[in-house]
Amino acid sequence: MSPGMRTAGLAVLGIVIPSTMVVVWMGRAEREMKAASDATADVALASASEDDYCSPRLKTVLRRVAGACGLIDGAGRGCKPGDAKNVAALSGDDFNTLFVPLAHRASIVQFDAEQVDLDERGKSLVESAWSEQRGASFFFVVARASPDGNAAFNQKLSQQRAESVLNHLDQRFQDPDLRGSVGLLWLGEEYAQLDEKFCEWRRSREEDCTTKDINRSAFVAWIDCQI
Amino acid sequence: MHDPLHDPMELDDDELPPQFRKRRRSGGVGGGGGRTWLWVTAAAALFGAIFSGVSTADFISHLDRQVHSIHCSFIPGAGAQIGESGCRTVMMSPYSSLFRDSMWGGLPISLLAFAVFSYLVYRAVDLALSDDVTKRHTMFLVAATILPVFMSLIYGYISSSIIGTICKLCAGIYICSAVLLLGAIMAHRAAPDGGHWPMGGTYARWFGEGVAYVAVLTVLYIALSPVSEKSLEGCGTLVSTEDKSNILIPLGKGGGAEAIAVLDPLCPACKGFDNRLEASGLGKELDLDAVLFPLDSDCNWMVKESLHPGACFVSQAMLCDKDAAPKILAWAFENQEELLAAAKDDPNAVKKRLKDTFPSVASCVGTARAKNKVNKSLRWAVKNALPVLTPQLFVNGKRVCDEDTDLGLEFTVSKMLEGRR
Repeated sequence: MSPGMRTAGLAVLGIVIPSTMVVVWMGRAEREMKAASDATADVALASASEDDYCSPRLKTVLRRVAGACGLIDGAGRGCKPGDAKNVAALSGDDFNTLFVPLAHRASIVQFDAEQVDLDERGKSLVESAWSEQRGASFFFVVARASPDGNAAFNQKLSQQRAESVLNHLDQRFQDPDLRGSVGLLWLGEEYAQLDEKFCEWRRSREEDCTTKDINRSAFVAWIDCQI
Repeated sequence: MHDPLHDPMELDDDELPPQFRKRRRSGGVGGGGGRTWLWVTAAAALFGAIFSGVSTADFISHLDRQVHSIHCSFIPGAGAQIGESGCRTVMMSPYSSLFRDSMWGGLPISLLAFAVFSYLVYRAVDLALSDDVTKRHTMFLVAATILPVFMSLIYGYISSSIIGTICKLCAGIYICSAVLLLGAIMAHRAAPDGGHWPMGGTYARWFGEGVAYVAVLTVLYIALSPVSEKSLEGCGTLVSTEDKSNILIPLGKGGGAEAIAVLDPLCPACKGFDNRLEASGLGKELDLDAVLFPLDSDCNWMVKESLHPGACFVSQAMLCDKDAAPKILAWAFENQEELLAAAKDDPNAVKKRLKDTFPSVASCVGTARAKNKVNKSLRWAVKNALPVLTPQLFVNGKRVCDEDTDLGLEFTVSKMLEGRR
């Protein structure tokens, strides 16, 4: 082979080999790009949480209560005992039982007899509960009164206790979403009174409590259900 | 009679003048040490071609917009790994390719190296097989091998000083370049003096061949580069950019298009993304805000376990003092590995570090108010049904596809901005 031919042969070989490799690599990349599925299709989308305790029954009650209490469709704010009883369509005990799975999310803010102002520990507990929203969509404030005094007074008392919680949250966090997230129920002494077992839940006072003490309260909890 | 315009190396025996016939019979430069050094040069060029070829193959494999393993070893073709490595960092940096805003991923430097080394293999082998090689021939080889050495010096500096990591494949190329130059110099020293025929034409032709090698591979690459319409269309839009809760954090006002980056301050991919965005110069064309989306189950209910423990605290700090947020973010990126390691042992370690380093947030981090702010930031993502991943970039409300946030970032964002210019 003449030197000229050898040089030409080497020159061609020297460019054909890398060119072929590039062509093969590019072809493979193009085929794989076309074959690849949409990468984000397998990625979960950000969403509000839906916990295991969100049974159809609980969600039905929550939906009714939320609707009646102004959280859905901008209806009027707050539910009176009669409203709550009607919309929940449950006995008081059944209503309370529905909230038992929320033990880890709920807090009970206690009030002095005939008082509606939050004490320091009550404020702190409300703030702590509010800040633990995580993926929950609705914050329920269910205020009660002990059976002391007349029913009308107690209804008013429980309403003011619920509003006291709402106002504190409003002042403390100035959260634009607050009004659309908080559902207020005031049950007075007439509906779904708590029994002593609820004294074992997280509450604002460490002292021993009685049935009367635990019902001079506002039960606050984020609900991790999409209703 | 010998044609003085023709290089005797390229003539057949019967065309050679007598003095060259004698030298050819005795082996010329090719005999003894000179030929050996030419083979050494050829071998170094071959290894350089293999290293740069593997690097090019890795780069091209990413043109399908997916995540692939990258070879990162001093043994060419070995050490493929999917996770972070010096080679991945270097490849994803804007220094790994040219013309990134004109084509997806740009033209890889390794492809140019592949062409140059391939050419040098051919040139060195051709000289090693020739019998009439003189210093006038080897001089060209020395000059040609200076190019990869020069480029190695530049990229070695960029790699160590700017990118801050060394890629083993690149180091292999640097070593091959050095051996290449050494072999060429030694071959040149061993070569006999040349004659007096003019070499201008030969040098020009050889140089032209080298340019042709580079041009052929470049044209092939550009012509065959896959194009995805999806990259230009984006991957979704924001439902609402409303910020009632004041959780958007301004990261830079370039006076350009409105852009929102969804970030986790302790996510390594976000750190890489931030570096790429800064190095690309695109930041100057964007009014960039950040939405914090810590992938830490301490505050983020959308992840089952903490991918980046401590990220909730850093996010709280950034939302506590939005003026200091860019500094806090830069600090978190800079100390990311250390913070993640500390948080794995003690989740409150990051909180303590934050309070020590940024006194302005000391009374805020960990409070109900700070937690509430982070929650609002996460709920902004919920409202827009964003994928649970970071980083994400939105330009004028249009989401840059995830696969376009690394190699294709400059191209994709530039195209998205084109309509605005």
